[in-house]
Amino acid sequence: MLTRRVVGLLLAALGLTVLPARAQSGRDIQFFSEGVVCHGRMFVPSGFSATSKAAAVVLAPGAGDTASTIESYAARLASQGLVALVIDYRGWGRSGAFIYMAEPIRWDDRLRFSQHTAKVRLRRKRLIPEAQITDIRNAITYLQGEPGVDRTRLGVWGADLAGGHAVSVAAMDARVKAAVAHAPVIAGKDQPRAAWKPMAAEQADMVRLARLGASTVTAATAGTANDPESRLALAQYRPFHALDAIPQTTAVLFVVGGNETALNAETAVAASKTVKGPTAVTTIPGAPHVMSAAASDAAATAAAAWFAKHLVGP
Amino acid sequence: MLSRTSSLPPCRAIRAAALAWAVVLGTPAAPASAQISADILQKYKADLDRQTTDPDQKREGGTQPRDWNYDLPAGVTTRQVTFYVDGGTALYGKMFFPRGFSARGRYPAVVVGHGINALSIGIEKYAARFADRGLVAMAIDYQSYGFSSSGSDDLRLLEADATTDDRPATEKTVRLLLKRTNLNNVHEVSDFRAAISFLQGEPGIDPDRIGIWGSSNGGGVVTAVAGVDARVKAVVAQVATPRPGPRRAVNIAPANLEDAIVRVRQGQGAEVDGGFSFRSKIDQWSNTRNQDVQGGAWLDQVTTTTAVLFLPAEKDELTRGAEGAIEAAKFLAGRGVTSQTIVLPGLTHFQAYSYAGFEVGSTLAADWFLKHLGGGPAPRSSAQQE
Repeated sequence: MLTRRVVGLLLAALGLTVLPARAQSGRDIQFFSEGVVCHGRMFVPSGFSATSKAAAVVLAPGAGDTASTIESYAARLASQGLVALVIDYRGWGRSGAFIYMAEPIRWDDRLRFSQHTAKVRLRRKRLIPEAQITDIRNAITYLQGEPGVDRTRLGVWGADLAGGHAVSVAAMDARVKAAVAHAPVIAGKDQPRAAWKPMAAEQADMVRLARLGASTVTAATAGTANDPESRLALAQYRPFHALDAIPQTTAVLFVVGGNETALNAETAVAASKTVKGPTAVTTIPGAPHVMSAAASDAAATAAAAWFAKHLVGP
Repeated sequence: MLSRTSSLPPCRAIRAAALAWAVVLGTPAAPASAQISADILQKYKADLDRQTTDPDQKREGGTQPRDWNYDLPAGVTTRQVTFYVDGGTALYGKMFFPRGFSARGRYPAVVVGHGINALSIGIEKYAARFADRGLVAMAIDYQSYGFSSSGSDDLRLLEADATTDDRPATEKTVRLLLKRTNLNNVHEVSDFRAAISFLQGEPGIDPDRIGIWGSSNGGGVVTAVAGVDARVKAVVAQVATPRPGPRRAVNIAPANLEDAIVRVRQGQGAEVDGGFSFRSKIDQWSNTRNQDVQGGAWLDQVTTTTAVLFLPAEKDELTRGAEGAIEAAKFLAGRGVTSQTIVLPGLTHFQAYSYAGFEVGSTLAADWFLKHLGGGPAPRSSAQQE
């Protein structure tokens, strides 16, 4: 374990892009998040067994992305001694859909659980940060139940919009001991910390959704800012305001491409300054927001080193 | 804004300053004209005293069905409505319209929400009372309670879900498990906000004069709603004491963690008894989940366009008295938010809902809404202009 960590740190220091000695293919798992069966793929380090006491990390994809796009990061973390679980949010990728009743059913609260054959509306590609954050936290719980995982050494990695999720979860959930925000998009830096006041058009959307139910969503608008529901959810999502609630014992790394947008890069630096505990900003030279394979590998190596350092065993 | 060398987190520093200031001056920052009179406590003194001593008016562990009854005030009309939350979950509301209501007017309106594991039928008499005083009021059932539908975390497919991202919506007949009485404050915040949105679109209602009333657990929830949604112009939190405090990451107690693991691996965890007036089981997980709504920690987000009244009960056995609400009001006042606390003298938690407790509490709540939303169909009266 120690040797592997030293090697990992060395690799990180040298910026090497060496593939894991044994290719990690991972294993599909399923977990429930608020009733929806969600998909995950778990990568474990070589020699991992039910009697291991390995640290573990949930990896969360960015806006509109699915688990398959970040498996290479998980494989890299596993090669450095970590259990790594990539997930699909509910309503995305290989996870089940959001479920709504589509025909009237009668119920009685005294019968807490009832079974029916009934028409439902299954909705996909809703981009709702609050739901995605809950999915990440349920994935953490899944890892805590996995034999061989040390349930006190847990981390979160999130890319793009999920870089904001990573800090949000660290602020809400004391189980998280280390977080990595990869090419993060963290809203809220220049907005006051105050109850949200919708603009007229936003308020009109809220009224319409409350009075008519779901908005009309096409395959083209689903999961984008063209969908009123997603647009409203994103407008209110300000993970920057969560930063100062991250416990002092939680370590937060921001990994930013050298060619990232000025706003995202400045926000990551400002975010790091707001974190109370161990924190750093690692820049991947020359990399844009969506990183090349080589840049991704360097970013994954930096993340692995961060988790190895801060998810230290007893 | 945050100094990294500060010994206090910013919200704590603000709170400390606010408390020190309140202690020194002994009065809230808001001008006296923003406060309502508590004279009704004197008027009802004999009745309140009797409520504290009469065995028949004692209420332990919940309200009683006889407490829920009321006469629909003369001229007040009702309508049951359906509104939607979270992308299409249907919720129930019962609207109460004041005498002379016209859809061509612009009336203030109030959402009325029940407490822990309760139902709207237990508190719709408050909505009726508010309508009698000239407000539109809507009593609601939260997700998975009463006449409201089950939604997220309350529906589970008993067969495989074959949908793919190619289609954003699919309607299909499936085998379905439906869950009820799922106590979830995160969802309750969303339910209040959906109700506000519904009222904003209702003909005859002024979308800029919306208030929210919540009791017991619902009082903590309405405080939290005020912390996230500036559309709320007036809040009344009855028998709730959202003590100011820092935001905190939630710890899961060991026993709850074992249950949480079962829940994510099998779809359903253990159940525990849920109180009070309507007893049913709730998920053990609720005890953890509800900590995600931290009404007292979000007080620093309440805007100065929202006015907050706390109506705690002096002998409240669930909140351990009124102190948390008194602190919350002082904290808000220190931030320049109009706020007031009026303690229901001698009463216990569930006595607030009946007899003199109801008369006093509902009157003060209506007074607060009329003061800060303005009354009647006209736009705000000049007294309400800033």
